[in-house]
Amino acid sequence: MLIQIAHFLAILSTGLFLTTFVFSFLFTKRDKNITRLISRIYSHAFLMLTSSFFVYIWLALNDNFSVLYIAQHSNSQLPSFYKITSIWSAHEGSMYLWIVFLCLWGFLYSSYSPNDNILKARTIGVISLIAVGFLSFLLLTSNPFETILPIAPMDGADINPVLQDPALAIHPPMLYLGYVGFVIAFANAISFLINGDKSIRWEESVRIWSISAWVFLTVGIALGSWWAYYELGWGGYWFWDPVENVALMPWLAATAFIHSLSVSSKSQLLRIWTILLSIIVFSLSLFGAFIVRSGIIDSVHSFANDPERGMYLLSFTGILVFSSIILFSYRLPLLASKKLITSFSKESFISINNIIFGTLIFSTMLGILYPLIYEYLYLQKISVGAPYYNAIFVPATILACIFLFFSIDSKWQRTYRIINSYASMLFSGVFSLAITISVMFYFVISDLWILISLFTGLLIIIRYLFVIFEFLKNKKYSNPYSIAAHIGLGLLIISISLNSQFSSERAINIKINGDDIYKDYRIKFDNLELIKMSNHDSVMASFIIDSPSGKTFVLNPEKRKYFTRGQITTETAIHATPLKDIYVTLGDQLDDGSWIVNIQFNYFIRWIWISALLMAISGSFLAFSLRGTSR
Amino acid sequence: MIKYSFLTLLLFSNFIMTESLYNFENAADEKRFYSLIKEIRCPKCTSGSLASSNAPVSIDIKNKIIELIKDGKSDKEIKEYIASRFGSSVLYNPGFNQDTYILWIAPFVILLIALSTYIFRRKV
Amino acid sequence: MITLLRFIIFVIPISLISFLYFFINDNDYYPGADFKVSDMPAFELNSLYENSVVNNLDLEGSYLINVWASWCITCRIEHGFLVQLNSQNIPIIGLNYKDERNDAIEWLGKYKDPYRLIIHDYSGSLALDLGVTGAPETFLIKNGKIIAHFSGEVNKRVWGDVFAPVIKKEKVVWNDQI
Repeated sequence: MLIQIAHFLAILSTGLFLTTFVFSFLFTKRDKNITRLISRIYSHAFLMLTSSFFVYIWLALNDNFSVLYIAQHSNSQLPSFYKITSIWSAHEGSMYLWIVFLCLWGFLYSSYSPNDNILKARTIGVISLIAVGFLSFLLLTSNPFETILPIAPMDGADINPVLQDPALAIHPPMLYLGYVGFVIAFANAISFLINGDKSIRWEESVRIWSISAWVFLTVGIALGSWWAYYELGWGGYWFWDPVENVALMPWLAATAFIHSLSVSSKSQLLRIWTILLSIIVFSLSLFGAFIVRSGIIDSVHSFANDPERGMYLLSFTGILVFSSIILFSYRLPLLASKKLITSFSKESFISINNIIFGTLIFSTMLGILYPLIYEYLYLQKISVGAPYYNAIFVPATILACIFLFFSIDSKWQRTYRIINSYASMLFSGVFSLAITISVMFYFVISDLWILISLFTGLLIIIRYLFVIFEFLKNKKYSNPYSIAAHIGLGLLIISISLNSQFSSERAINIKINGDDIYKDYRIKFDNLELIKMSNHDSVMASFIIDSPSGKTFVLNPEKRKYFTRGQITTETAIHATPLKDIYVTLGDQLDDGSWIVNIQFNYFIRWIWISALLMAISGSFLAFSLRGTSR
Repeated sequence: MIKYSFLTLLLFSNFIMTESLYNFENAADEKRFYSLIKEIRCPKCTSGSLASSNAPVSIDIKNKIIELIKDGKSDKEIKEYIASRFGSSVLYNPGFNQDTYILWIAPFVILLIALSTYIFRRKV
Repeated sequence: MITLLRFIIFVIPISLISFLYFFINDNDYYPGADFKVSDMPAFELNSLYENSVVNNLDLEGSYLINVWASWCITCRIEHGFLVQLNSQNIPIIGLNYKDERNDAIEWLGKYKDPYRLIIHDYSGSLALDLGVTGAPETFLIKNGKIIAHFSGEVNKRVWGDVFAPVIKKEKVVWNDQI
């Protein structure tokens, strides 16, 4: 009964969103009252959708297994938290969440944007149309409201134990909030293009939404990476898997977009880039959804290997992209700015940044599609993985950072003579070089790219430290958010390089009560016990580890067997120190009773997450500082 | 101790115990091994390298790699060995040949063209 | 300049999306099937029952190799079709993959034995050389060359879609001597 209500509410909301769209394009007279009306209808549609979703959550929490999706992905034994998160563990439910979040952003925009904003009505209209498109997709091909009546199963199938993890449970919501958040920028851009009045300053009103969405996207990707690191058991954090790449591309586009946006919001420059990027970010988000859900690419994330769904999503993406491109192309003359970008101004550096990021997005896309193209042409399979992406990303990032380095004191719309900052630049260069060379000799590093990356990361950080120093000493104004975020970038580059250089691992053979030594760490296999939990049995090993510096700690890796599916998982045990993670997993037992234990030292890995966090925090503070500017 | 072994065997008896110990003659070999298994894809898994997989065939390939390292084979020879048996899609590096050169060159060409266009357009 | 820009921004998405559209619909390749021709690898292993030495020189002409094991559940499903093939005088050589000798013999006693000869590959060395990733898998060999390879259960449909066309095209004549 309840499920029918939820279903009905969803259908009703689709109708209301459609109405919103129709009204927004029907009433061409732009005034406050019309806009308010349209906002109201939209809010009601949103309310209906969220009610539907809350009913669904209620059903999941209360083990209503007459709902097919809940029966397939939840179980009465699951803790309540995971009953809720099981909703987005597979295709239909996660699509549902996606749509709710999309409409949520629209709702926030509709609530906080003033009604005298000329573009507001059409923006909401565009968002509603997109919502209708996705809701139709959901209701027609991926219906989460399907029931198994008249006989409902007694209990649900358990979800994958690997999904019963807090980080993995929050990772999709964060990611989705990021992906769909850019609908506001996109809809605003489309609305602006339709409107045709080039004096409208839409960029400033969109900044807060875009930056918030960027923060969520950054956090979502970082969470996925962190989860993969501690859960999958082999110590890697980024695999250039198609699904990761398909999340990376919107992030690259989003980063380029928010930089380009800051230019366009101050002047008429780079408007073409900014609008193009807003179309690209959102299109890439849709494209990502398509790739993951169509089964066209093999990946651990392949939710729905269904060509029909793939076709729908592809068509939807296609229609959206084509219409935006046609509109954009039509309005190109309007957007072209009369002024040229001044040499060595901030705008010029951001232009170059756009070009580099654009190339990276193109390369990633090429890397994802190449195996498909190759297979189509030659009927043979190839893989494109880390070697390719590293070859492209490392030089490109270093290039971008070098431009960043020179751009730091540049001014808006004026030429800045770089020679005026020669002191801080010179000292940054010298310090970075000195540190790099010392590290090179002390640790005997011969990998050129690692040294260059290290140097570049240091260059950025030290240069920004000088900026902070000048602010404190001379009260010279700087953008604190930019400083923090870019220091985060420098830190990220250094952490990734050093992690790649220094990390090591070994599979050791050890008996209970025996011990072994790895890199001056003494590992004693202290105990092995069997633990029974509510939905799994676990064999937990206990290792006492003595570090060469005298510290002792205990690590407890496990091997678990889950009842419902008989699945076996390994749980990693990690001891984190500022410099490295000591990472232990339990392997198999050999015939002589001894165990294989995998031990890894992962250097600077925590710093990777810290850099991501730093970038996210600076973005959050920036967004927070922008509240009240949405006009 | 016997009780524990029995318990674990009971718990995991649907597992085929094929993982074995890796014995290396020197540190360089060990480093090579761990680096190689990250560069070769697991042929059975939907995605992921040998390093991330404990599938029986992955374990077999890993042991074979150790054997080949001990035999003095180079990284290139080892990769070719595995690829000739499991297909070239098992290598994460698609190689640089007449079928794939576009993949490698296109990004640099695009970057070059875009940057030059930007620089020269301003001079005009 | 603007025309060039227009051209670029149209061409890239159009070609991308059209390509994906065609790719999704056109499925020339059969999942699990591999038609790449390669040499039958050299090997020397023992047969399952007699425990006598078998090597690749003993195998001539055209035959099938079927990778199976007593622990492989899908193999039980496939088994019936293999018995059928055998009754049509198609020679199938079994490759017993990572199996205990006794378990394998017991399994064959329980279900029928469709194989002319069974190679016992306990360590999986021949399987590795063949590029086997699991069981069941089936290879079609003609004159020392592998001309078809299928990963997964072979049944009437798969036989008709994957092997029959190759048998017809390559004019395969089965080896009676095995």
